[in-house]
Amino acid sequence: MSASATPLLKTQGLTRKYGGLVAVSNLDIEIRPGEILGLIGPNGAGKSTTFNLISGFVRPTSGRLYMDGEDVTGQSPTRISRKGLVRTFQHGSLMRTMTVRDNILVGAVGALRGAARGEREARVQEAAAMLGLEAYLDEVAGNLPHGLQRLVSIAIAFAVRPRVLCLDEPLTGLNQTEANATLDVLRRIRGQFGCAILLVEHNMKAVMQLCERIVVLHHGQMLAAGTPQEIRQNESVVSAYLGTRHEH
Amino acid sequence: MDKRVLSQSGLAVVVAGIATLAVAPGYSANLVMWMAIAVLMAASLRFVLLIGELNFATAAFVGLGAYGAGVSTTILQWPFAVALLLSGVVAAAIGFVFGFVTLKTKGPYFLLIGFAFTEMVRLVYTKVQWLGGNSGMVGIFPPQYLEASYITFVVVLVGVLLIALYAIEQSHLGKCFVAIRDNDQVVQSVGVNVHLTKVACLCIGAFAAGIAGGLSAFVNNVISPGDFGFLLSTFALAYLKVGGEDSPLGPVAGAILLVLLGSVALGLGAGEHVFYGLAIILSVLLLPQGVVGLLSRLRPGRRSQAHVA
Amino acid sequence: MQTALQLVMTGLQIGSVYMLFSLGLTLIFGVMKIVNFAHGQFFTLSAMLVAVLVPWLTTRGVSLPVAFGLGALAGIAVSIVVGLLLYQFGFRYFQRDLVGSFILSIGFALLFEGVFLHYFGGAVRAVPPIIDGDVSFFGVNLTAQRLALGLVALAFTLALYWVLSATRLGKAMRAVSIDHEAAMLQGIPYKKIVFNSFAIATFLGAVAGAIMAPISVITPTVGADYLVKGFIAVVIGGLGSVPGAIVGSLFIGFLESVGGYFFDPSSANMAIFVLAMLILLLRPKGVMGNG
Repeated sequence: MSASATPLLKTQGLTRKYGGLVAVSNLDIEIRPGEILGLIGPNGAGKSTTFNLISGFVRPTSGRLYMDGEDVTGQSPTRISRKGLVRTFQHGSLMRTMTVRDNILVGAVGALRGAARGEREARVQEAAAMLGLEAYLDEVAGNLPHGLQRLVSIAIAFAVRPRVLCLDEPLTGLNQTEANATLDVLRRIRGQFGCAILLVEHNMKAVMQLCERIVVLHHGQMLAAGTPQEIRQNESVVSAYLGTRHEH
Repeated sequence: MDKRVLSQSGLAVVVAGIATLAVAPGYSANLVMWMAIAVLMAASLRFVLLIGELNFATAAFVGLGAYGAGVSTTILQWPFAVALLLSGVVAAAIGFVFGFVTLKTKGPYFLLIGFAFTEMVRLVYTKVQWLGGNSGMVGIFPPQYLEASYITFVVVLVGVLLIALYAIEQSHLGKCFVAIRDNDQVVQSVGVNVHLTKVACLCIGAFAAGIAGGLSAFVNNVISPGDFGFLLSTFALAYLKVGGEDSPLGPVAGAILLVLLGSVALGLGAGEHVFYGLAIILSVLLLPQGVVGLLSRLRPGRRSQAHVA
Repeated sequence: MQTALQLVMTGLQIGSVYMLFSLGLTLIFGVMKIVNFAHGQFFTLSAMLVAVLVPWLTTRGVSLPVAFGLGALAGIAVSIVVGLLLYQFGFRYFQRDLVGSFILSIGFALLFEGVFLHYFGGAVRAVPPIIDGDVSFFGVNLTAQRLALGLVALAFTLALYWVLSATRLGKAMRAVSIDHEAAMLQGIPYKKIVFNSFAIATFLGAVAGAIMAPISVITPTVGADYLVKGFIAVVIGGLGSVPGAIVGSLFIGFLESVGGYFFDPSSANMAIFVLAMLILLLRPKGVMGNG
């Protein structure tokens, strides 16, 4: 996908400090329409904080956030979501006590606030179909195996039809088969709906397979950015990973 | 809402309404009306529990409804229908402001602030002379044309409101409430305005509580500040806990049971406090899902639902 | 100036009672994550026992200070036993269940209040002041009794502070209140800590009751009256925060002192509630709270 004039999301000098601790400093990241971007880095690199910053769940200490060229710095998660950025959470990104159908319905409600019941219910069917969850719609989400729960989280976000789908470690706890299936789903989502996908992941193999561009964070700063090929050969990235405890 | 459930509950309300015609006027009728009002109060509390918050200000909204009805009837001389409607509207309006301010807090903070609010409103009543101050208001009577059938009116109205509350609970809005209780971050992340949704829930609950207050003003004919302190909220809590908070029938079972047993116990000279205290303790320790929960577990072949302990 | 000083002293003295109360409340919340509405009943129980035992003992020739000492000991001991029974058979099963534990505590509160009303009756009891006379400094008049109360409250607050910061028990309590799972993983004897915390909190409430018995009017609902404001103090300061409880209590003490002087007690109460709501609006977790 070619980079269009205005990126979907752009950060400028984004910084977040917690007292004396600098979680993220001076980040300049871009997400282009329709691209699949990976965000990687050793533990403590600031990936979660970055996620929270771009989705509005945390306010930056300094720096700015733009969506479609519009300054959205400091806006609430609700407003950023309505502008087209939906994110999942690393742990428990779903409503355990509700059925899968109702889970996805929440996403549909978020997207189709004024619409008729029928429209929302249709959206739920569509999201379930895309994620292969039709058979489980009436199951209580908390009773499902971990892999399916992850798919439910993605379905909820997908039901909003975001322009940027931000997934926080969607593959954690999945075995190889499940992970591959999820990657296929993500490709399909991007292919059919043209949304951009931002992925935070530790599963290096999956990242290299799926992402078109990768941004590497280390100690809260951007270490490198480029294609998987470029990142794989980048020496500072390699040493950053070898120098710290490696997860996978 | 499920068509079948709607027609079944509608039928139940009609049956209940007809049953009230058989009740002797006087104490029995009053008892039935108190039960109905207690049901509505407990239902209001349960409704706000959908967003996961224990609304201790329920008593305040009941009081606001009662005083709203009292003022409309005795001071402004407005017709009954208006007074009753106003009792709900006043409570909902103040509920909106209260909720908007306080639902930024959660859990124990919201609970205790609701508590403080109830006490504060009660103090306001005692200080405002045209509300009757400490002595309250008197002479709140239902209109002539309803005097004989007031009991039927109360029971049917409460039934209708319960159905309405259930309909909202089953609607997409209601699912949002429950989702917020389960995981409000996810709800926020899909673009739902969690804060306003919570406030909406509180408003609806406050409306129901206000109507309960208005109805009770016309039943008791006199109201005073002391009726609407935090003790009333604890009664509502007892009804809900004993009946079971998971099912919309819980408030019905709990309120009827406790009001009935309470009147018997009071007749035996036992203290009101001891009675309700024991009822709460026993049901919390022994019947965590309330009477309705117990009954549904005893029914064979019922599909179990995931229950958040 | 004179008045200002008087108001400050009164505020401190009122605040010190609330402090003993709210320290217990915040401690229980911090360690068990529950809101214990029955906490006021330990106050009442202890105060009631003092109010009953002291006259009984003095009519049998025991001197007043000794009678008071025995009465206080009895009140505190009984309260702690009752408290631990409530813990063992009730609250222990509802840790971190806010709604459940709160409802249970309301049940207990109602039950005790009913029992007190029944056995002690609605009649008001008074205990004669233990320490007679007035004390005057900086031109401010205080009854010696109230001064003693303030000092005792201060002493216990400092003692609690010391326990929390310097002793192993205290550090364990803090660890549990921050992250109970991590604390358990570190080998902290969780059950013992919680048990002790509940005992300490009950102790503080009972002490407050025993001290207040000679000063204020003891009715069966006296504990509940203090409880409401004790809770407001804790909420203002931040549930689970000891410095917060102290700040909140003093704040309420001053409001009550000033409000009671310029207006009347119930207006002061209203002001307290309104201010509490305002504070929570700006800081939803209390001034020093962290959840």
